[in-house]
Amino acid sequence: MSLLSCPRLLLRAGQRLQPLLLSRHSSSLKEPPSIDTPSIDIPSTSSLVKDNVMSSGEGLLPDKSNSPSVLNGQLTQPSGSPELPVTNWEQRLNGLSGKARLPRSVQAVYLRPLRRKAEHGLPVCDLQLRSYSVRNVEFFSDFAIRAAYYLGLPASGPVPLPRIVERWTVPRSNFVHKKSQENFERITLRRLIQIKDGNPETVQAWLAFLRKYAFHGVGMKANIWEYDSLDVAENLDKTGEETERSLEGLFSYFGQREDTRSDRSLTDMLDKNHLVTTKSPLSEVGSR
Amino acid sequence: MAAQYSRILDLAKVQCRIFSLNFNPERLRLGNKVLRQRLRGPSLAAWYPKKTVSFRDLQATYKPLGLTMFDEREDDREEALQIAKLRGKGRPKKKRTAAESRSAKKKK
Amino acid sequence: MSMFRSKKLDLGGFVNGKIIRDHTKRKVFEQHEAERQALRYVIRNTSLPQRARAQAQLQLATMHAYTRSTQIKNRCVAGGTARFIIRDFRLGRFQFREQALAGELPGVRKASW
Repeated sequence: MSLLSCPRLLLRAGQRLQPLLLSRHSSSLKEPPSIDTPSIDIPSTSSLVKDNVMSSGEGLLPDKSNSPSVLNGQLTQPSGSPELPVTNWEQRLNGLSGKARLPRSVQAVYLRPLRRKAEHGLPVCDLQLRSYSVRNVEFFSDFAIRAAYYLGLPASGPVPLPRIVERWTVPRSNFVHKKSQENFERITLRRLIQIKDGNPETVQAWLAFLRKYAFHGVGMKANIWEYDSLDVAENLDKTGEETERSLEGLFSYFGQREDTRSDRSLTDMLDKNHLVTTKSPLSEVGSR
Repeated sequence: MAAQYSRILDLAKVQCRIFSLNFNPERLRLGNKVLRQRLRGPSLAAWYPKKTVSFRDLQATYKPLGLTMFDEREDDREEALQIAKLRGKGRPKKKRTAAESRSAKKKK
Repeated sequence: MSMFRSKKLDLGGFVNGKIIRDHTKRKVFEQHEAERQALRYVIRNTSLPQRARAQAQLQLATMHAYTRSTQIKNRCVAGGTARFIIRDFRLGRFQFREQALAGELPGVRKASW
Protein backbone atom coordinates (compact mmCIF):
# COMPACT_ATOMS: atom_id res chain seq x y z
CA MET A 1 0.00 0.00 0.00
CA SER A 2 1.37 3.32 -0.95
CA LEU A 3 -0.39 5.07 1.88
CA LEU A 4 1.28 2.83 4.34
CA SER A 5 4.67 4.13 3.39
CA CYS A 6 3.58 7.74 3.36
CA PRO A 7 1.87 8.70 6.59
CA ARG A 8 1.73 12.34 5.57
CA LEU A 9 -0.50 11.51 2.70
CA LEU A 10 -2.39 9.33 5.06
CA LEU A 11 -2.89 12.20 7.44
CA ARG A 12 -4.00 14.48 4.70
CA ALA A 13 -6.46 11.92 3.54
CA GLY A 14 -7.57 11.74 7.12
CA GLN A 15 -8.33 15.45 7.18
CA ARG A 16 -10.33 15.17 4.00
CA LEU A 17 -12.26 12.28 5.33
CA GLN A 18 -12.91 13.51 8.82
CA PRO A 19 -16.67 13.17 8.49
CA LEU A 20 -16.23 9.61 7.43
CA LEU A 21 -14.35 8.90 10.57
CA LEU A 22 -17.13 10.13 12.77
CA SER A 23 -19.77 8.26 10.92
CA ARG A 24 -17.65 5.15 10.88
CA HIS A 25 -17.28 5.34 14.61
CA SER A 26 -20.93 5.79 15.08
CA SER A 27 -21.81 2.99 12.76
CA SER A 28 -19.29 0.25 13.33
CA LEU A 29 -17.13 1.06 16.28
CA LYS A 30 -17.21 -2.35 17.83
CA GLU A 31 -16.18 -4.15 14.76
CA PRO A 32 -12.67 -5.53 14.38
CA PRO A 33 -10.41 -3.87 11.80
CA SER A 34 -11.48 -6.38 9.18
CA ILE A 35 -14.05 -4.26 7.42
CA ASP A 36 -14.07 -5.33 3.88
CA THR A 37 -17.60 -6.56 3.43
CA PRO A 38 -19.29 -4.15 1.08
CA SER A 39 -22.56 -4.29 2.95
CA ILE A 40 -21.06 -2.37 5.83
CA ASP A 41 -19.09 -0.04 3.66
CA ILE A 42 -21.91 1.30 1.60
CA PRO A 43 -23.51 3.29 4.38
CA SER A 44 -20.19 4.66 5.47
CA THR A 45 -19.24 6.01 2.08
CA SER A 46 -22.65 7.33 1.43
CA SER A 47 -22.76 8.94 4.81
CA LEU A 48 -19.58 10.71 3.88
CA VAL A 49 -21.38 12.17 0.97
CA LYS A 50 -24.28 13.12 3.09
CA ASP A 51 -22.01 14.70 5.60
CA ASN A 52 -20.25 16.86 3.09
CA VAL A 53 -23.54 18.24 2.05
CA MET A 54 -24.72 18.75 5.55
CA SER A 55 -21.60 20.06 7.15
CA SER A 56 -22.28 23.59 6.02
CA GLY A 57 -25.65 23.45 7.69
CA GLU A 58 -26.40 21.93 11.06
CA GLY A 59 -23.26 19.86 11.42
CA LEU A 60 -25.20 16.96 12.76
CA LEU A 61 -23.86 13.54 12.20
CA PRO A 62 -26.03 11.25 10.14
CA ASP A 63 -26.93 7.91 11.59
CA LYS A 64 -26.44 4.59 10.01
CA SER A 65 -30.16 4.46 9.48
CA ASN A 66 -29.97 6.99 6.67
CA SER A 67 -31.06 5.11 3.62
CA PRO A 68 -28.94 5.43 0.50
CA SER A 69 -31.93 6.29 -1.61
CA VAL A 70 -32.47 9.56 0.23
CA LEU A 71 -28.82 10.40 -0.15
CA ASN A 72 -28.88 9.75 -3.82
CA GLY A 73 -31.86 12.04 -4.08
CA GLN A 74 -29.82 14.77 -2.44
CA LEU A 75 -26.89 14.17 -4.64
CA THR A 76 -28.81 14.73 -7.80
CA GLN A 77 -29.42 18.29 -6.72
CA PRO A 78 -26.54 20.35 -8.10
CA SER A 79 -26.87 23.15 -5.52
CA GLY A 80 -25.09 21.59 -2.54
CA SER A 81 -21.53 21.40 -3.83
CA PRO A 82 -19.62 24.55 -4.73
CA GLU A 83 -16.22 22.81 -4.53
CA LEU A 84 -15.19 20.90 -7.60
CA PRO A 85 -12.92 18.26 -6.05
CA VAL A 86 -15.67 17.32 -3.62
CA THR A 87 -18.10 16.56 -6.40
CA ASN A 88 -15.48 14.56 -8.17
CA TRP A 89 -14.92 12.52 -5.10
CA GLU A 90 -18.62 11.92 -4.72
CA GLN A 91 -19.00 10.97 -8.31
CA ARG A 92 -16.13 8.63 -8.10
CA LEU A 93 -17.55 6.95 -5.08
CA ASN A 94 -20.93 6.67 -6.72
CA GLY A 95 -19.35 5.36 -9.87
CA LEU A 96 -17.91 2.54 -7.88
CA SER A 97 -21.50 1.70 -6.97
CA GLY A 98 -20.93 0.68 -3.41
CA LYS A 99 -17.98 -1.55 -4.03
CA ALA A 100 -15.56 1.08 -2.72
CA ARG A 101 -13.45 0.40 0.25
CA LEU A 102 -10.82 2.70 1.60
CA PRO A 103 -7.34 1.30 1.94
CA ARG A 104 -6.79 -0.38 5.26
CA SER A 105 -4.15 2.11 6.27
CA VAL A 106 -6.61 4.95 5.80
CA GLN A 107 -9.27 3.09 7.70
CA ALA A 108 -6.78 2.57 10.49
CA VAL A 109 -6.45 6.32 10.91
CA TYR A 110 -9.95 6.37 12.30
CA LEU A 111 -9.42 3.55 14.71
CA ARG A 112 -7.28 3.18 17.72
CA PRO A 113 -3.57 3.08 16.79
CA LEU A 114 -2.22 -0.32 15.95
CA ARG A 115 0.68 -1.64 17.90
CA ARG A 116 3.37 -4.20 17.45
CA LYS A 117 4.03 -6.66 20.18
CA ALA A 118 7.38 -6.50 21.90
CA GLU A 119 9.21 -9.75 21.80
CA HIS A 120 11.70 -9.27 24.62
CA GLY A 121 10.42 -6.11 26.25
CA LEU A 122 13.83 -4.48 26.33
CA PRO A 123 13.41 -0.69 26.49
CA VAL A 124 15.33 1.09 23.76
CA CYS A 125 14.01 4.60 23.68
CA ASP A 126 11.96 6.81 25.97
CA LEU A 127 10.27 9.70 24.24
CA GLN A 128 8.76 12.37 26.39
CA LEU A 129 6.34 14.81 24.83
CA ARG A 130 5.55 18.04 26.59
CA SER A 131 2.99 20.63 25.84
CA TYR A 132 0.74 23.16 27.49
CA SER A 133 -2.34 21.94 25.70
CA VAL A 134 -3.92 18.53 25.96
CA ARG A 135 -5.07 18.41 22.36
CA ASN A 136 -1.63 18.98 20.92
CA VAL A 137 0.14 16.46 23.07
CA GLU A 138 -2.58 13.84 22.65
CA PHE A 139 -2.62 14.26 18.91
CA PHE A 140 1.09 14.11 18.53
CA SER A 141 1.53 11.11 20.80
CA ASP A 142 -1.07 9.33 18.71
CA PHE A 143 0.83 10.29 15.59
CA ALA A 144 4.08 9.07 17.10
CA ILE A 145 2.58 5.70 17.99
CA ARG A 146 1.17 5.24 14.51
CA ALA A 147 4.51 6.16 13.02
CA ALA A 148 6.19 3.64 15.29
CA TYR A 149 3.79 0.95 14.12
CA TYR A 150 4.50 1.58 10.47
CA LEU A 151 8.22 1.54 11.17
CA GLY A 152 7.83 -1.80 12.88
CA LEU A 153 8.69 -0.54 16.35
CA PRO A 154 6.80 -1.89 19.35
CA ALA A 155 5.66 1.16 21.25
CA SER A 156 3.98 1.37 24.60
CA GLY A 157 2.13 4.35 25.88
CA PRO A 158 1.30 7.16 25.81
CA VAL A 159 1.72 7.10 29.57
CA PRO A 160 0.46 10.33 31.11
CA LEU A 161 3.20 11.52 33.42
CA PRO A 162 2.47 13.88 36.33
CA ARG A 163 1.74 17.40 35.23
CA ILE A 164 4.24 20.11 36.06
CA VAL A 165 2.40 22.98 37.63
CA GLU A 166 4.21 26.26 38.05
CA ARG A 167 2.46 29.09 39.79
CA TRP A 168 3.36 32.71 40.24
CA THR A 169 1.68 35.30 42.38
CA VAL A 170 2.32 38.89 41.44
CA PRO A 171 0.97 42.14 42.86
CA ARG A 172 -1.39 43.75 40.42
CA SER A 173 0.22 47.15 40.80
CA ASN A 174 2.61 49.02 43.06
CA PHE A 175 3.71 47.66 46.35
CA VAL A 176 1.28 49.93 48.21
CA HIS A 177 -1.48 47.72 46.91
CA LYS A 178 0.22 44.50 47.90
CA LYS A 179 -3.07 43.12 49.15
CA SER A 180 -4.42 42.86 45.64
CA GLN A 181 -2.52 40.14 43.86
CA GLU A 182 -2.99 37.94 40.89
CA ASN A 183 -2.14 34.31 40.32
CA PHE A 184 -0.76 32.83 37.16
CA GLU A 185 0.02 29.26 36.37
CA ARG A 186 1.58 27.19 33.67
CA ILE A 187 0.73 23.53 33.47
CA THR A 188 3.01 21.34 31.43
CA LEU A 189 1.44 18.09 30.30
CA ARG A 190 3.67 15.17 29.62
CA ARG A 191 3.30 11.92 27.78
CA LEU A 192 5.78 9.12 27.72
CA ILE A 193 6.16 6.74 24.81
CA GLN A 194 8.50 3.85 25.21
CA ILE A 195 9.94 1.87 22.36
CA LYS A 196 10.88 -1.68 23.14
CA ASP A 197 13.42 -3.84 21.39
CA GLY A 198 13.73 -1.86 18.20
CA ASN A 199 16.68 -1.59 15.94
CA PRO A 200 18.67 1.51 17.00
CA GLU A 201 18.78 2.78 13.44
CA THR A 202 15.04 2.42 13.07
CA VAL A 203 14.57 4.27 16.33
CA GLN A 204 16.75 7.04 14.96
CA ALA A 205 14.67 7.12 11.81
CA TRP A 206 11.51 7.29 13.90
CA LEU A 207 12.86 10.18 15.93
CA ALA A 208 13.99 11.98 12.81
CA PHE A 209 10.57 11.48 11.30
CA LEU A 210 8.90 12.90 14.39
CA ARG A 211 11.24 15.85 14.35
CA LYS A 212 10.50 16.46 10.71
CA TYR A 213 6.76 16.54 11.35
CA ALA A 214 7.06 18.21 14.74
CA PHE A 215 3.75 19.59 15.88
CA HIS A 216 3.42 23.15 17.07
CA GLY A 217 3.51 23.60 20.79
CA VAL A 218 4.83 20.14 21.50
CA GLY A 219 8.33 19.62 22.80
CA MET A 220 10.15 16.33 22.56
CA LYS A 221 12.84 14.75 24.65
CA ALA A 222 14.25 11.32 23.93
CA ASN A 223 16.41 9.04 26.00
CA ILE A 224 18.02 6.31 23.97
CA TRP A 225 19.69 3.23 25.35
CA GLU A 226 22.16 1.31 23.33
CA TYR A 227 22.96 -2.27 24.08
CA ASP A 228 26.17 -4.01 23.36
CA SER A 229 27.28 -7.58 23.37
CA LEU A 230 28.82 -9.03 26.52
CA ASP A 231 32.41 -8.65 25.36
CA VAL A 232 32.28 -4.90 25.72
CA ALA A 233 35.90 -4.62 26.69
CA GLU A 234 37.06 -6.22 23.49
CA ASN A 235 34.96 -3.91 21.40
CA LEU A 236 36.16 -0.93 23.39
CA ASP A 237 39.75 -1.95 22.74
CA LYS A 238 39.01 -2.19 19.06
CA THR A 239 37.28 1.15 18.81
CA GLY A 240 39.79 2.73 21.16
CA GLU A 241 42.57 2.25 18.64
CA GLU A 242 40.50 3.82 15.92
CA THR A 243 39.53 6.83 18.00
CA GLU A 244 43.10 7.28 19.12
CA ARG A 245 44.22 7.31 15.54
CA SER A 246 41.57 9.85 14.62
CA LEU A 247 42.47 12.03 17.58
CA GLU A 248 46.19 11.93 16.98
CA GLY A 249 46.10 15.13 14.99
CA LEU A 250 44.27 16.92 17.76
CA PHE A 251 46.44 15.59 20.54
CA SER A 252 49.54 16.86 18.81
CA TYR A 253 48.43 20.36 19.76
CA PHE A 254 48.45 19.48 23.45
CA GLY A 255 51.31 19.15 25.88
CA GLN A 256 54.56 20.89 26.43
CA ARG A 257 56.74 21.97 23.58
CA GLU A 258 60.11 20.32 23.38
CA ASP A 259 62.07 23.55 23.35
CA THR A 260 60.46 24.89 26.51
CA ARG A 261 60.96 21.77 28.56
CA SER A 262 63.04 22.17 31.71
CA ASP A 263 63.78 20.11 34.76
CA ARG A 264 62.21 22.47 37.25
CA SER A 265 59.54 21.02 39.47
CA LEU A 266 56.02 22.34 39.55
CA THR A 267 56.47 24.06 42.89
CA ASP A 268 59.52 25.92 41.60
CA MET A 269 57.58 27.08 38.61
CA LEU A 270 54.75 28.27 40.77
CA ASP A 271 57.25 30.22 42.84
CA LYS A 272 59.12 31.76 40.00
CA ASN A 273 56.92 32.36 37.05
CA HIS A 274 54.10 34.77 36.41
CA LEU A 275 52.32 33.67 39.56
CA VAL A 276 54.78 35.80 41.49
CA THR A 277 53.83 38.95 39.65
CA THR A 278 51.31 40.80 41.70
CA LYS A 279 50.06 43.03 38.94
CA SER A 280 46.44 42.72 38.14
CA PRO A 281 45.61 40.76 35.03
CA LEU A 282 43.47 43.65 33.86
CA SER A 283 45.99 46.43 34.35
CA GLU A 284 46.99 46.19 30.73
CA VAL A 285 43.38 46.49 29.67
CA GLY A 286 43.02 49.61 31.78
CA SER A 287 46.12 51.29 30.35
CA ARG A 288 44.90 50.92 26.81
CA MET B 1 45.32 -5.76 59.93
CA ALA B 2 47.91 -3.26 58.89
CA ALA B 3 48.97 -5.40 56.02
CA GLN B 4 45.40 -5.66 54.92
CA TYR B 5 45.01 -1.89 54.99
CA SER B 6 47.99 -1.49 52.74
CA ARG B 7 46.51 -4.06 50.39
CA ILE B 8 43.28 -2.11 50.28
CA LEU B 9 45.23 1.04 49.57
CA ASP B 10 46.96 -0.69 46.71
CA LEU B 11 43.64 -1.80 45.37
CA ALA B 12 42.27 1.71 45.60
CA LYS B 13 45.33 2.99 43.83
CA VAL B 14 44.92 0.60 40.97
CA GLN B 15 41.26 1.43 40.81
CA CYS B 16 42.04 5.12 40.58
CA ARG B 17 44.60 4.50 37.88
CA ILE B 18 42.23 2.44 35.78
CA PHE B 19 39.31 4.83 36.04
CA SER B 20 41.57 7.90 35.99
CA LEU B 21 40.53 9.19 39.37
CA ASN B 22 42.58 11.07 41.91
CA PHE B 23 44.15 8.84 44.49
CA ASN B 24 43.82 10.76 47.72
CA PRO B 25 43.82 8.46 50.75
CA GLU B 26 44.57 11.24 53.25
CA ARG B 27 41.57 13.19 51.98
CA LEU B 28 43.56 16.34 51.42
CA ARG B 29 41.72 19.32 50.05
CA LEU B 30 43.00 19.47 46.52
CA GLY B 31 40.50 21.96 45.18
CA ASN B 32 39.30 19.55 42.55
CA LYS B 33 35.75 20.61 43.09
CA VAL B 34 36.64 23.93 41.51
CA LEU B 35 37.84 22.11 38.44
CA ARG B 36 34.71 20.02 38.36
CA GLN B 37 32.38 23.00 38.33
CA ARG B 38 30.98 23.89 34.99
CA LEU B 39 31.58 27.33 33.54
CA ARG B 40 28.63 29.58 34.14
CA GLY B 41 29.77 32.41 31.93
CA PRO B 42 28.10 31.48 28.65
CA SER B 43 24.68 31.01 30.20
CA LEU B 44 24.98 34.19 32.25
CA ALA B 45 26.14 36.24 29.28
CA ALA B 46 23.13 35.11 27.25
CA TRP B 47 20.62 36.77 29.56
CA TYR B 48 19.79 39.78 27.43
CA PRO B 49 18.56 39.42 23.86
CA LYS B 50 21.17 39.97 21.20
CA LYS B 51 21.07 42.74 18.69
CA THR B 52 19.17 41.86 15.58
CA VAL B 53 18.97 43.54 12.21
CA SER B 54 17.38 46.95 12.40
CA PHE B 55 15.87 49.17 9.75
CA ARG B 56 18.96 51.30 9.74
CA ASP B 57 21.13 48.32 8.94
CA LEU B 58 18.96 47.59 5.95
CA GLN B 59 19.23 51.19 4.88
CA ALA B 60 22.98 51.11 5.21
CA THR B 61 23.26 47.96 3.13
CA TYR B 62 20.93 49.09 0.37
CA LYS B 63 22.22 52.64 0.02
CA PRO B 64 25.43 51.68 -1.84
CA LEU B 65 23.28 49.78 -4.33
CA GLY B 66 21.37 52.95 -5.11
CA LEU B 67 18.19 51.75 -3.44
CA THR B 68 16.40 54.02 -1.03
CA MET B 69 14.13 52.88 1.72
CA PHE B 70 11.35 54.78 3.40
CA ASP B 71 11.17 54.58 7.16
CA GLU B 72 7.71 55.75 8.02
CA ARG B 73 8.28 56.04 11.72
CA GLU B 74 11.45 58.05 11.31
CA ASP B 75 9.68 60.30 8.83
CA ASP B 76 6.85 60.89 11.27
CA ARG B 77 9.30 61.75 13.98
CA GLU B 78 11.10 64.28 11.85
CA GLU B 79 7.86 65.84 10.80
CA ALA B 80 6.73 66.19 14.41
CA LEU B 81 10.05 67.82 15.24
CA GLN B 82 9.59 70.27 12.40
CA ILE B 83 6.13 71.20 13.63
CA ALA B 84 7.39 71.64 17.18
CA LYS B 85 10.16 73.89 15.93
CA LEU B 86 7.71 76.03 13.99
CA ARG B 87 5.62 76.44 17.10
CA GLY B 88 8.68 77.49 19.02
CA LYS B 89 8.64 74.28 21.05
CA GLY B 90 11.88 72.85 19.73
CA ARG B 91 14.89 72.15 21.85
CA PRO B 92 16.77 75.15 23.19
CA LYS B 93 19.98 76.21 21.52
CA LYS B 94 23.12 74.66 22.81
CA LYS B 95 25.07 77.03 25.05
CA ARG B 96 28.58 77.15 23.63
CA THR B 97 30.33 79.35 26.18
CA ALA B 98 30.25 79.58 29.93
CA ALA B 99 29.09 83.20 29.78
CA GLU B 100 26.00 82.32 27.83
CA SER B 101 24.85 79.68 30.22
CA ARG B 102 25.55 81.85 33.21
CA SER B 103 23.61 84.80 31.87
CA ALA B 104 20.67 82.56 31.16
CA LYS B 105 20.68 81.42 34.75
CA LYS B 106 20.98 84.92 36.16
CA LYS B 107 17.99 86.22 34.26
CA LYS B 108 15.82 83.88 36.24
CA MET C 1 33.41 50.61 33.32
CA SER C 2 33.89 52.21 29.99
CA MET C 3 36.93 50.18 29.03
CA PHE C 4 34.89 47.00 29.08
CA ARG C 5 31.83 48.39 27.38
CA SER C 6 31.45 47.42 23.76
CA LYS C 7 31.96 50.33 21.42
CA LYS C 8 28.84 49.55 19.52
CA LEU C 9 25.58 48.64 21.15
CA ASP C 10 25.26 44.86 21.01
CA LEU C 11 21.90 44.53 22.67
CA GLY C 12 18.49 44.22 21.15
CA GLY C 13 15.19 44.87 22.84
CA PHE C 14 14.78 47.21 25.77
CA VAL C 15 17.98 49.06 26.59
CA ASN C 16 18.92 51.46 29.32
CA GLY C 17 22.12 52.37 31.09
CA LYS C 18 21.75 49.85 33.84
CA ILE C 19 21.08 47.05 31.42
CA ILE C 20 24.13 47.96 29.38
CA ARG C 21 26.21 48.01 32.54
CA ASP C 22 24.93 44.65 33.67
CA HIS C 23 25.45 43.18 30.25
CA THR C 24 29.03 44.44 30.24
CA LYS C 25 29.61 42.81 33.60
CA ARG C 26 28.28 39.54 32.30
CA LYS C 27 30.55 39.59 29.31
CA VAL C 28 33.62 40.50 31.36
CA PHE C 29 32.83 37.72 33.80
CA GLU C 30 32.55 35.27 30.96
CA GLN C 31 35.92 36.31 29.60
CA HIS C 32 37.73 35.96 32.89
CA GLU C 33 35.88 33.03 34.39
CA ALA C 34 38.51 30.46 33.49
CA GLU C 35 41.23 32.58 35.00
CA ARG C 36 39.26 33.06 38.18
CA GLN C 37 38.59 29.36 38.47
CA ALA C 38 42.27 28.57 37.97
CA LEU C 39 43.20 30.96 40.75
CA ARG C 40 40.49 29.55 42.96
CA TYR C 41 41.88 26.09 42.36
CA VAL C 42 45.35 27.16 43.38
CA ILE C 43 43.94 28.78 46.50
CA ARG C 44 41.92 25.75 47.51
CA ASN C 45 44.65 23.21 46.83
CA THR C 46 46.33 22.52 50.16
CA SER C 47 49.07 20.50 48.56
CA LEU C 48 50.55 23.55 46.88
CA PRO C 49 53.11 25.73 48.70
CA GLN C 50 51.60 28.28 51.01
CA ARG C 51 53.38 31.09 49.22
CA ALA C 52 51.88 30.30 45.85
CA ARG C 53 48.43 30.05 47.38
CA ALA C 54 48.77 33.39 49.12
CA GLN C 55 49.88 34.98 45.87
CA ALA C 56 46.96 33.48 44.06
CA GLN C 57 44.71 34.93 46.72
CA LEU C 58 46.22 38.35 46.21
CA GLN C 59 45.91 38.06 42.49
CA LEU C 60 42.28 37.06 42.71
CA ALA C 61 41.59 39.95 45.03
CA THR C 62 43.25 42.43 42.69
CA MET C 63 41.16 41.38 39.71
CA HIS C 64 38.67 43.92 38.55
CA ALA C 65 35.29 43.97 40.21
CA TYR C 66 33.59 43.40 36.86
CA THR C 67 35.19 39.95 36.61
CA ARG C 68 33.26 38.90 39.69
CA SER C 69 30.04 36.99 39.31
CA THR C 70 28.49 38.60 42.37
CA GLN C 71 28.32 41.86 40.45
CA ILE C 72 25.81 40.37 38.08
CA LYS C 73 22.19 41.12 38.82
CA ASN C 74 19.30 39.72 36.87
CA ARG C 75 17.31 42.48 35.25
CA CYS C 76 14.01 42.54 33.46
CA VAL C 77 14.63 42.12 29.76
CA ALA C 78 11.62 44.22 28.84
CA GLY C 79 11.75 46.94 31.48
CA GLY C 80 15.14 46.94 33.18
CA THR C 81 13.87 46.63 36.72
CA ALA C 82 16.06 44.65 39.08
CA ARG C 83 13.52 43.41 41.59
CA PHE C 84 11.10 40.51 41.46
CA ILE C 85 12.50 38.99 38.32
CA ILE C 86 10.83 35.76 37.25
CA ARG C 87 13.73 33.79 35.95
CA ASP C 88 11.77 31.54 33.62
CA PHE C 89 10.76 34.52 31.55
CA ARG C 90 13.49 36.98 32.52
CA LEU C 91 10.79 39.50 33.23
CA GLY C 92 9.94 41.73 36.14
CA ARG C 93 6.66 41.17 37.90
CA PHE C 94 4.72 43.85 36.12
CA GLN C 95 6.04 43.05 32.67
CA PHE C 96 5.25 39.43 33.38
CA ARG C 97 1.70 40.29 34.32
CA GLU C 98 1.18 42.44 31.27
CA GLN C 99 2.57 39.89 28.87
CA ALA C 100 0.78 36.99 30.54
CA LEU C 101 -2.55 38.78 30.31
CA ALA C 102 -1.84 39.61 26.70
CA GLY C 103 -1.20 35.93 26.06
CA GLU C 104 2.38 36.43 24.96
CA LEU C 105 3.81 33.85 27.33
CA PRO C 106 2.95 30.40 26.04
CA GLY C 107 1.02 28.29 28.49
CA VAL C 108 0.67 30.93 31.18
CA ARG C 109 -2.90 31.43 32.28
CA LYS C 110 -4.68 33.07 35.12
CA ALA C 111 -4.91 30.57 37.91
CA SER C 112 -7.59 29.99 40.46
CA TRP C 113 -7.85 27.08 42.77
